[in-house]
Amino acid sequence: MTPAHFAFSSTFMLGLSGLAFYRTHLLSALICLEGMMLSLFIALSLWALQLDSTSFSAAPMLLLAFSACEASAGLALLVATARTHGTDRLQSLNLLQC
Amino acid sequence: MTYMMLLCLVGLVAGLISVASNPSPFFAALGLVVAAGMGCGVLAGHGGSFLSLVLFLIYLGGMLVVFAYSAALAAEPYPEGWGNRYVAVLVVAYVVSVGVAFWMFRGEWYEFSWVPVNELSEFSVIWGDTGGVALMYSSGSSMLVISVWVLLLTLFVVLELTRGLSRGALRAV
Repeated sequence: MTPAHFAFSSTFMLGLSGLAFYRTHLLSALICLEGMMLSLFIALSLWALQLDSTSFSAAPMLLLAFSACEASAGLALLVATARTHGTDRLQSLNLLQC
Repeated sequence: MTYMMLLCLVGLVAGLISVASNPSPFFAALGLVVAAGMGCGVLAGHGGSFLSLVLFLIYLGGMLVVFAYSAALAAEPYPEGWGNRYVAVLVVAYVVSVGVAFWMFRGEWYEFSWVPVNELSEFSVIWGDTGGVALMYSSGSSMLVISVWVLLLTLFVVLELTRGLSRGALRAV
């Protein structure tokens, strides 16, 4: 295991555990998801760069396109909840069910 | 160069720790900016200058501006930074868990040098990752078309989710 492999594996696990535990805001959960996508982008890029397989380096670009889709859908959900509930705290989403 | 790369890797992990330790969304977005910048440094050090540039322009330039706008939308009067006790406990816990994982892999480290792309760089005109990304337009064109349709579908999803100005509690947003 190289230090780069350890770094992106631990960033993925950190983002996953931050998403799973202790979320108070919906936006914090979305930012944790973005951190996971960032670590996946770095992982796919390092795969293409370290193994010298240059034709694989289109994969992180496609991953970036899909992560843009995910981020925009999540932020649209954030705007919708801020409009209906006035805040984005997950507790109020639980309390004021719509 | 090795020290710069190690600095970038440590900064990447530290940025994700600062995101995952549940501060307010302002500070979490700041930590994600730091992590993305350090990730750009990692990719550039491995020889993927085009991928690093794409990450910098698209990720930092496009998506984090939207995240900063949404953080302003979901603002709160008393934001919690990393100096808050509840957040600081989580920071210490994540740092300790990363350190334990580092210690668990202590006997299995290899390859401290950085393997770059472009083994045959004297025969090629462009960098390796640039040529690889250009394959997306020739043999990978079906995947390109699929992602274009996914982006178009996402546009309609976003428009449908934020539709209805006359409904809801907050009309101004």
